[in-house]
Amino acid sequence: MMEANHPQERILSIQNLVIQFTLRGQVLKAIRDISLDLYKGESLAIVGESGSGKSVLVKSIMGLLDKNGYIDQGQILYNDMDLAGFKTEEDWLKIRGKEIAMVTQDPMTSLNPLKTIGKQIEECVVLHQGLKGKEAYHVTLKLLTDVGIYDVEKRYKQYPHEFSGGMRQRIVIAIALACNPKILICDEPTTALDVTIQAQILQLLKNLQKKYGLTTVYITHDLGVVAKVADRIAVMYAGDIIEVGKAHEVFFDGKHPYTWALISSLPQLGSKGEQLFSIKGTPPNLFKEIKGDAFAPRNQYALKIDFVERPPFFKVSDTHYARTWLLDPRSPKVELPEALLAFFEEGRSYANEQ
Amino acid sequence: MFWYIGKRLLQSILTLFIIITIVFSLLRLMPEEGYLGAAAEKMSFEQQEIYLTNLGLRDPLIVQLGNFYGDLFQGDLGKSVNYRTDVPVTSIIGDKIMYSLLFGLGAVALSLLLGVPLGILMAQMKGRWLDRLGTGYIVFVVAVPAAVYYLFIQMYITDIFKLPMLFDEYNPISWVLPLLSMALAPTASYAMWMRRYMVDELNKDYIKLARAKGVKERTLMFSHVLRNAFIPMAQYLPATILFTITGSIYIESLYSIPGMGGLLVDAIQRQDNTVVQGLVLVFSSLGILGLILGDIAMALVDPRIKLGKGESVR
Repeated sequence: MMEANHPQERILSIQNLVIQFTLRGQVLKAIRDISLDLYKGESLAIVGESGSGKSVLVKSIMGLLDKNGYIDQGQILYNDMDLAGFKTEEDWLKIRGKEIAMVTQDPMTSLNPLKTIGKQIEECVVLHQGLKGKEAYHVTLKLLTDVGIYDVEKRYKQYPHEFSGGMRQRIVIAIALACNPKILICDEPTTALDVTIQAQILQLLKNLQKKYGLTTVYITHDLGVVAKVADRIAVMYAGDIIEVGKAHEVFFDGKHPYTWALISSLPQLGSKGEQLFSIKGTPPNLFKEIKGDAFAPRNQYALKIDFVERPPFFKVSDTHYARTWLLDPRSPKVELPEALLAFFEEGRSYANEQ
Repeated sequence: MFWYIGKRLLQSILTLFIIITIVFSLLRLMPEEGYLGAAAEKMSFEQQEIYLTNLGLRDPLIVQLGNFYGDLFQGDLGKSVNYRTDVPVTSIIGDKIMYSLLFGLGAVALSLLLGVPLGILMAQMKGRWLDRLGTGYIVFVVAVPAAVYYLFIQMYITDIFKLPMLFDEYNPISWVLPLLSMALAPTASYAMWMRRYMVDELNKDYIKLARAKGVKERTLMFSHVLRNAFIPMAQYLPATILFTITGSIYIESLYSIPGMGGLLVDAIQRQDNTVVQGLVLVFSSLGILGLILGDIAMALVDPRIKLGKGESVR
């Protein structure tokens, strides 16, 4: 199943990206030298805890960084253009919506309360598909149908407050689709929804990805979401990608201690009577220069070199890379906890059955 | 919409009746000299009684109230006692109200015209020189007592631009300074609120989404932000209209405009009960009218206010 679509054509390529913010005279390094490729038709999930820089990363792709943030180094290559060099609004208007659209986090606040939802969707249709009047209206109705809204002609004329949270998220998705983008970025698309609706919205996104031939990027800290939608996973920590690979590779054969810690934190891995696993300590201060592996101070498997030198990407397979010295042939073998090993085992056998 | 306005009108009329009744009752508690006028000293006690009985003041209170309302519906507010003896109150107020209304509404219009765009520009250039300049202006107007800068304007600006010192009905140039002076304070508050609500709206999620979908910054401002920022503004409108009308006492006396500003003070000092009564009625009607207009404006711009069904969403 997972191997079936084997996307190889690169659609977007991030190279050695460094993003900084100036805050009260200090410089904060939010993204520290990231390289990442996005392949056509795939769905990539970027996971990491709050403050790990996942939102900043995608905002930089759309030129939506806050005013005090800027790209210090690196390139974002898309269609022979380097988005990192874009300065003016005019430049970005070629990208925003037209090429890359976004589904935002909180549907309750993401819609303009004073415009009918129809108008809000149609605004995109007019802007990006060059349609007008009746044509635009019909395309809008079709989009509403596509995202699973009934009685579209009546709904078209209604205002956001007349819809439930799940419905509003569908409308936000319709707005993104109305732009007719190549890449769809979903920034925690289900965080603000209740659990039953979450599954519906993810299924909808999956279906639409196929129907519209989209490349999707999910940003989330919910591993459950990742498991449902992602072909590939990139794990971020403190502004760096520390492991990237196909979903099953990262999930069931993770190599970085931070990935292990994340998976161990899943409640399913806890055993009865014992406290659930949590990662000790706090993420590093991004105002300071980070030496070595950013995760080292919280890492029970940390080696001496982890505090000195930043690990390079070690290749695990053609598609799977991890930034940890543990993959160096000279490093000692580590014993993983029982529960984690069991999880890996179960996952691998399940993947093989597929 | 129709039902909503109808309902609000009915409510307002009810409020107005309550106010009138209270004012009427309060004035009946005042010393009766207020109805006798300057002649009181020359009258004997019996003469005073006959005079008051003729005026109807010895009838039971409820009958007096009935008569009062009866006259009111015929547009009769009684006669002035000693402000301008025996002149109908309606014509005393009628002579002056036009001046106050014209200047009041003119000042509101002018301040909207200046304040709203200023606020928008300040929000757009937040933190830059225009924003700072505007903030300086707002702080000045709020911090310095109005009487002070009114005086300075009259003293110096008239001198510098050779403008007339006093109001002259037939010389439009003499209207400029009083209007400007009156508009200064409300302009500052409109600019302040407009800036604040614009900045508020600009930080909201739907603006982020609109940007992400590729809406131009200019379109964003006018088609998304402006209307949303104007909703809370609609509430302030009636209050400022009232403020400019009643607050014109200073300006009117400075430029000797024959408006209503000083009338209430005069009438109270001279214990002219009928004129006081009439004025309170006019002021409260204006206030209530302002509130209705504010509500209607809100309902027109905000779809979240459900109309006429008694269930509001906000």
